[in-house]
Amino acid sequence: MNWYGRSLASGFLAVLAGLGLSSQVQAQTYPTRNITMIVPFAAGGPTDVIARIVTGHMAQTLGQTIIIENVVGAGGTTATTRAARAANDGYTLITGHMGTHAASVPLYPKLAYHPEKDFEPVGLLAGTPILILARKDFAPKDLKEFIAYVKANESKVNAAHAGVGSVSNVSCELLNSVLGVKPIGVPFNGTGPAMNALVAGQVDYMCDQIVNAVPQINGGTIKAYAVATPERNPSLPNVPTTAEAGLPAFQAQAWNAIFAPKGTPPDVVAKLNAAIVKALDDENVRKRLLELGSVIPPAADRTPAALGTLVKSEIAKWTPVVKPVN
Amino acid sequence: MGDIFTNLGLGFGVVFQFVQWTPAFLGGISIPIPVNILLCLIGALVGTLVGVLPGIGTIATVAMLLPITFGLPPVGALIMLAGIYYGAQYGGSTTSILVNIPGEAGSVVTALDGFQMAKRGRAGPALAIAAIGSFFAGCVATVLIALLGAPLTRIALAFGPAEYFSLMVLGLIFAVVLAKGSVLKAIAMIVLGLLLSMVGSDIETGASRMAFNIPELADGLGFATLAMGLFGFAEIIRNLDAGGETDRKLVQEKVSGLMPTRRDLKETTPAILRGTVLGSILGILPGGGAVIASFAAYTLEKKVAKDPSKFGHGEIRGVAAPESANNAAAQTSFIPLLTLGIPPNAVMALMVGAMTIHGIVPGPQVMQKQPDLVWGMIASMWVGNLMLLIINLPLVGIWVRLLRVPYRLMFPSIVVFCCIGIYSVNNAPTDVMIAGAFGLVGYWLIKHDFEPAPLLLGMVLGPLMEENLRRALLISRGDWSVFLTRPLSAVLMAIAAALLILAVLPSLRKKRDEVFVESEN
Amino acid sequence: MNATPGHAPVKSIMPNWVRNPQEFVGGIALMAIAVFALWASSDLQGMRGFSFGAGTAPRMFGFLLLGLGALITVVGVVTEGPHLAKYHWRGPFFVTIAILTFAFTIRPMGMIFAAMAAFLIAACGSPETRWKETLIVAVCLTTFCSLLFPYALGLPLQLLPTFMIR
Repeated sequence: MNWYGRSLASGFLAVLAGLGLSSQVQAQTYPTRNITMIVPFAAGGPTDVIARIVTGHMAQTLGQTIIIENVVGAGGTTATTRAARAANDGYTLITGHMGTHAASVPLYPKLAYHPEKDFEPVGLLAGTPILILARKDFAPKDLKEFIAYVKANESKVNAAHAGVGSVSNVSCELLNSVLGVKPIGVPFNGTGPAMNALVAGQVDYMCDQIVNAVPQINGGTIKAYAVATPERNPSLPNVPTTAEAGLPAFQAQAWNAIFAPKGTPPDVVAKLNAAIVKALDDENVRKRLLELGSVIPPAADRTPAALGTLVKSEIAKWTPVVKPVN
Repeated sequence: MGDIFTNLGLGFGVVFQFVQWTPAFLGGISIPIPVNILLCLIGALVGTLVGVLPGIGTIATVAMLLPITFGLPPVGALIMLAGIYYGAQYGGSTTSILVNIPGEAGSVVTALDGFQMAKRGRAGPALAIAAIGSFFAGCVATVLIALLGAPLTRIALAFGPAEYFSLMVLGLIFAVVLAKGSVLKAIAMIVLGLLLSMVGSDIETGASRMAFNIPELADGLGFATLAMGLFGFAEIIRNLDAGGETDRKLVQEKVSGLMPTRRDLKETTPAILRGTVLGSILGILPGGGAVIASFAAYTLEKKVAKDPSKFGHGEIRGVAAPESANNAAAQTSFIPLLTLGIPPNAVMALMVGAMTIHGIVPGPQVMQKQPDLVWGMIASMWVGNLMLLIINLPLVGIWVRLLRVPYRLMFPSIVVFCCIGIYSVNNAPTDVMIAGAFGLVGYWLIKHDFEPAPLLLGMVLGPLMEENLRRALLISRGDWSVFLTRPLSAVLMAIAAALLILAVLPSLRKKRDEVFVESEN
Repeated sequence: MNATPGHAPVKSIMPNWVRNPQEFVGGIALMAIAVFALWASSDLQGMRGFSFGAGTAPRMFGFLLLGLGALITVVGVVTEGPHLAKYHWRGPFFVTIAILTFAFTIRPMGMIFAAMAAFLIAACGSPETRWKETLIVAVCLTTFCSLLFPYALGLPLQLLPTFMIR
């Protein structure tokens, strides 16, 4: 090989190396352009609201705009599949939740991604407690009576949920499996219609995220038996926890977290995680999240590793409960 | 009664709020600026301009523009959003009339006679009467919400799955009456629409139905995607067939007057009134009432008209009544949101989203806790409708002039706009391909004289009907008699049966007459 | 849509006893769609006790469409009606290609390219197209869309090809 050929080859190799290294070189200055945040649900939904509140602050820290791209479909798995296949340069992220990054694994046997194998955990944003709710004139007065009533009238009670694979659906499945009952589940298209049916008294009970339910409970149109978290929620101080009310086995929280495609450089992940942590310590961000009834994770739970552990444990938790579709 | 006036007063007070603006360059002189009115005006304007782009329906427009309002104070944001909503809806009617591309179920009906009017050179009066009818309906509905919002909520709660199923059956009958030609073919198209609506995930089991493992089909075929194909693309292809240019020249020569004539107004007044009443009632029902408002109104007009054969061939009442009904329903669909805090449809769900972003979680107490917000919104509805009238009457001339653009330049532009529009709804290229495929299907349907409107209505009503039927049967444990033993449901079923008989009888009679004529010959 | 189908007397390939070919072919096509839908939903669960299965409604409507298609076919035999309308290939072909081009290029190539290409290809669909003005309008429209959608409306649309952004 003459010198010309050699220099051409080495030049070529340098270019190749440059391409390969670009992500590392980039990391020192990352981010240099806009970041796309995929939200797998419609604008205005609980996940979208949380994502917008936190990314709004993250964008200030990172010095780049974070563009929210709402991609809806198939319980959020359409968007998550797209995120899994995106370039792992830190410019495409996804705000996943309990459904897309845990319950989807047992729910969709043909899922095109795996939450652990195809994603780098970046950081947990917030948890949203699940409540056990019932129509206002449902006979049982507290959780103990409720448990006894549902067990005695298994064939008569109706449980509403917001559609197969929704948070309200899978958490209700968990409740039913803890209670050992199989009531008739009445499906609705989203939490709005399900809540409407509960308010109108067409169905007996359901499980739902705290965001949707607080105003209805305070307005006296429905009642809440318990909140499925270890601690009471400040927005509903009178609602006991499931442990207090006699059903400690039922613990459920819808959590939201940011993920990056597998192979995103660790320093990029670290930079993003630092931005999340900073956002969660911000007074205004905290205030707005708490208004939604969210639980802000303590410092120990905010690391990428902690999120990885959470995903693993959540998949293990939902797998025996959630029935696969098809 | 006195309460209402104080409340409306509060509302208008919020809307007409002035903020003192003291710019430096004026040297300390402050100018009062009606911020909320401006926001409403901007919202309505932007909503109209986006909604008028073919390919972008109401929901898509509101979803797209939602983030714009995030930076505003809550009341201002919601007022602007309400403006966007009305604007988007009116913009959608505009595309239906001008280029035969309905962006949502309601404007399918507007396209029927509106586009025919445009073809006959009467796009101006069609657009104007749509604006006037909408404004009138908006005024009535605003008063209705203020007066009767709370008691009307009870109707919404009285509607369970059984009632909704019966209502949807009634809706299907409307879809039959809608057809111009053969009743048999119309029914076949409805059933085809129902079948297409089954594509996607089963609501109860989550099983994927006829989706062939295409991820974009997992949630079913989108209405806008299908409408764009069957109406928009198919219309373009058909025009290219038959020398679109000559067709267009004819239209341009025929353009006569931008505003409705005195006779038009006289003819449409009762239609607007009936449409308003019907729309106001149907709009209250969450989860599907508003969908059938416009074609219920169209059906009613066709039934009460002395000469129903004019419908479908550019009858101005066929534009006025559904447009009024649509707008009235759009307005009254706020009732469940304002009194219960429960969003009755996709657009209202977006509104709730906007409220939560601003830290307001709407519930049954929102009226007591945030009266300025609720009454401000009610007042802004009226203002929004006024804005629409102010924006759109002058725009009529511009839209009509748009028809003068040579078709050879117009049609590629529509294709591009439709593509971008469909793509931007979900950021899914597959949606664009599906719309293209349905363009060819639509072309074939035209060639075989099948009407796409009943198909689209079947498509919209299908899921509502199936889901509510299944819910009703789950709750009643398989007892089919619920549809007749629940009084509201029974009434709806009776109306549906009566209408069906009315719809089928004339065509039977016609057949008999035809037979008669033939035998005479 | 007032289709005035095939006034030109096309040479009919239909047998003589089909007196209304438009309805006849339409009915058969509907039946084909129905059969296809029945086949596609054949793997779905039927009634489960008193409650509907995933496949119940699709099959119900599938059979209904099959019956209606058959009825329309019969109408096509017993009534007098128009000939099959004439199909043209140019318009449908280029418009479809334009749409497909847009769908395939929007992600990798960005909106400027996709919109431009779709416009120009669609324009091939009409024999009346004059290229000079078409090019000018295409450039204007693309510029307008590039400003409107990503900037004025803040939509997450990529303007330039992916390889140019990196």
